[in-house]
Amino acid sequence: MVPSKCRPGRGPRAAPGPVNNCLQLVIQTSSIADKNKPFEFRINKEQSSFHNRLLQHDLEKNYSGRQDNTSFGSSSSITSFPVLQRTAEEKILNSDRLTLERQKLTVCPIIDGEDHLRLLNFQHNFITRIQNISNLQHLVFLDLYDNQIEEISGLSTLRSLRVLLLGKNRLKKISNLENLKNLDVLDLHGNQKDVDTLPCLQRLFLSFNNISSFEDILCLADSSSLSDITLDGNPIAQETWYKHTVLHHMMQLRQLDMKRITEEERRMASVAARKEEERKRESHKQTLLKEKKRLTICNIAHQWEIQQNRVALVASLNPDKDNEPCHINGSAAYVFPEESRSLDTILSSAVQGLSVLESHLVEVEGDTLYLYGSGALECLDRNWSVQTAGTVVTVSFMFIEFDEIVQVLTKLKIKFPNFVHLKFKETNLVALQQFNALAQVNRIEQLTVDPQGNPVVSFTLWKYYVLFRLNHFNLQKINGIEVTQNDIVMAERLFGILAYVASSELPHYRMLSLLGESRRKQFHYLLEGKGKKSGIGNEESNDNRRAGGESTARATLNYTTKDFHMEKLEEIKERKTLCQTYIENLVKEAADINMKNESLQKLWPQMFIELVRDAVIEIRNKNSYMKLCLQRIADQK
Amino acid sequence: MLSPERLSLPGPEYLAQRHVLTYMEDAVSQLLENREDISQYGTARFFTEYFKSVRQGTHILFREFSFVQATPHNRASFLRTFWRCFRTVGKNGDLLTAQEYHCLLQLLCPDFPMELTQKAARIVLMDDAMDCLMSFSDFLFAFQIQFCYSEFLESVAAIYQDLLAGKSPNTVIVPTSSSGQHRQRQPPNDCSPLDGVEASLFYQCLESLCDRSKYSCPPSALVKEMLSSAQRLTFYGFLMALAKHQGINRALGALPDKGDLFLDPAMDQELEKLVAQVSGLSISAPTSSSGDAANLPVRNLPRISSPWKPLHHRRKMDAESEGSNEETDSSEN
Repeated sequence: MVPSKCRPGRGPRAAPGPVNNCLQLVIQTSSIADKNKPFEFRINKEQSSFHNRLLQHDLEKNYSGRQDNTSFGSSSSITSFPVLQRTAEEKILNSDRLTLERQKLTVCPIIDGEDHLRLLNFQHNFITRIQNISNLQHLVFLDLYDNQIEEISGLSTLRSLRVLLLGKNRLKKISNLENLKNLDVLDLHGNQKDVDTLPCLQRLFLSFNNISSFEDILCLADSSSLSDITLDGNPIAQETWYKHTVLHHMMQLRQLDMKRITEEERRMASVAARKEEERKRESHKQTLLKEKKRLTICNIAHQWEIQQNRVALVASLNPDKDNEPCHINGSAAYVFPEESRSLDTILSSAVQGLSVLESHLVEVEGDTLYLYGSGALECLDRNWSVQTAGTVVTVSFMFIEFDEIVQVLTKLKIKFPNFVHLKFKETNLVALQQFNALAQVNRIEQLTVDPQGNPVVSFTLWKYYVLFRLNHFNLQKINGIEVTQNDIVMAERLFGILAYVASSELPHYRMLSLLGESRRKQFHYLLEGKGKKSGIGNEESNDNRRAGGESTARATLNYTTKDFHMEKLEEIKERKTLCQTYIENLVKEAADINMKNESLQKLWPQMFIELVRDAVIEIRNKNSYMKLCLQRIADQK
Repeated sequence: MLSPERLSLPGPEYLAQRHVLTYMEDAVSQLLENREDISQYGTARFFTEYFKSVRQGTHILFREFSFVQATPHNRASFLRTFWRCFRTVGKNGDLLTAQEYHCLLQLLCPDFPMELTQKAARIVLMDDAMDCLMSFSDFLFAFQIQFCYSEFLESVAAIYQDLLAGKSPNTVIVPTSSSGQHRQRQPPNDCSPLDGVEASLFYQCLESLCDRSKYSCPPSALVKEMLSSAQRLTFYGFLMALAKHQGINRALGALPDKGDLFLDPAMDQELEKLVAQVSGLSISAPTSSSGDAANLPVRNLPRISSPWKPLHHRRKMDAESEGSNEETDSSEN
């Protein structure tokens, strides 16, 4: 159809009335009653003429009896299509119309000798394919409403067709309409449908077609001729972005849902649609980021799992080593039951496939700093803006060994001075003494230790120990549960003696070595000034408590990580050998001296007697003795 | 002091028997480690303090495991410290697993091996269901036996295995590695492991072991008394009996009797003070009333044979500023 012939159409309703030159595509559910009006089912007498139109035609002259005159014989010849014939009178009466409504037709009958037919009505049948009408070259109006047609076909010869009603069928797509250059009205409502591009399509009525996403009708945007579209009754019409998107994509539209589109609306729609697109892009980006984050975390979890199992393997190979620091032995007791702990829900095959993934993740979300994987601890070396660092209130550690966290606590204190809540998940906390390490932070008000990956939480007394050791912080919540005064008293009751023993019974020099630098000065003052009285000690601890510092009593309860401890043990061993040799030498000397002493004790009486005897023998003869002495003096020269 | 038996041993052997050298070496080692601090108040004072703490049994606090197990005195001191520090946990009635007790041990000795704790747990649980909960007293006494007599127990395990296997008791028994305790060899004779070994035969082997061994062993008289009551016994049955025997407990001298396990009035007093501080109540009221009550049993303490208890008591009394306690102190002297 040549575009110049296009003229704005009139009514949208499919009607057998005057058709326009422009194509009207009617895909809309009007009420069935309306539809049926022009096609009343006439059961009354007048229908008899209708029935008379149908004759039985049997190529082999087999007349199958029927109640009325409508009869379709089944031809036993080449085709199994019923053949239709009308009586001559009927032909004359309605020479260009043929109505075959509600005839329970399953196929299009062969219409014999009606080549000048202009109107054909197959409403309310069960026809599945359009066939046997190719000979009706003059057909202008074809009504196939309410059938079971799955595909538009067999219309290629109907060049004069101007109205094609295919509503309420089972069409899946629009095709094979290229030859229908005169088509003005195409009714496709009530089908499953996909609208292809149609040239010269001006008005498209797509109401109540269950269109739920704009992509389905995106192809319409390419149609330059489309000026009028109705989409009400579809799910997309309910969307907030409906009008804007439609207007934005189909700039050529003049009417939407039977309402004229103003320039203002169009402009606003553009802007809004653009915003919408950006928002979508943004959320898409967010989703991508989230996905990436999720995959990173999966990867980190996977690596953590491997690492834990590796520790278990190593530990299982050395069960008898007494010298092995108990940390490995301790964790061995736990890693075995946890080998069965499956992270299958986290591990997905996608993780396996991705080869290049981060092994750690650092994220600041709101007021929480999230650290995943041990590599994340290096982020503390980065330069954080004072503002960001200042807002961080919670620090959450996941998939990082607690020992590693301990080593960076000082850095954490400096970089993020305002944190008050620490969260640990999958950090391999196994022993109560590890909590001692948390005493060095500035402030904690809340502590969360997730049971997953932290065996220490299975201990009955862990909370009390935490309260006891960190009592100078006045913890408010542990694992989300408020700390009551009873808890604090209980903690003190359970472990108070430990603190007492640790402070008052340690020799001075041990105290000093266990406490930090700052304590030493305090302690020195105590030593020099007052001497060790428990009264003073209490005063000092009270002062400390008031000042928010740690009491010396608990300060001696330290935690050294396994590595440090090994280093210390090495040092100690070296020193020990040195001391051993030193003491050995001392002992040898002492033993030597002792032996000599004893020997002297034993021999001395004899020696003394001999000395005396020799002297007496010498002096017996005075004369010879005098001579002897003189000689001796002379010899001396 | 100058008893003839002391002088009869030659020098080095005497030193070795009393572990004097261990302490000397450790003292020098500690001196080297802390020389900056110690130089400020002099080495003489350091040595005084060091040996004072050795005598009192506080020298093992927060020390490495190799030192803690070096001498019987160290082991007993450690045990006693553990009892004093965590008696409250036991008094509270909590039942804990072996791992939890191990954590508590680690608070006092950071590298204490899990193996020992597990062996102790095995004694309590009779080698069965290792994740069971144990009471404080059960664990403590079993731990005492395991820790203080570790080497002895290893030898006993070896002897037991040999007896089960039917070997002659007069063969030289060499202590095998610790894995010997866990292996259950099938004996070729008809006595099953569940029946154990014959008590008298077992005792003969133990006696010879005690005579020969240079490690600390339970007094053989008490062991004999224990074994005389049973016809046959299993290894863990024997260990459990050892753990529960109060005579052996007293011989070691580290822990009080089972009945008095949760009594420690001096410490309770301190604890009350601490708890009062925490709960913000006034200090004077609770302690004065408990102070009087505490004095009576305190006076009875010196009769216990352990060497350091009265010393500690006296030292603590010095520190107390309360007049009433000073009076009792002087009256004791």
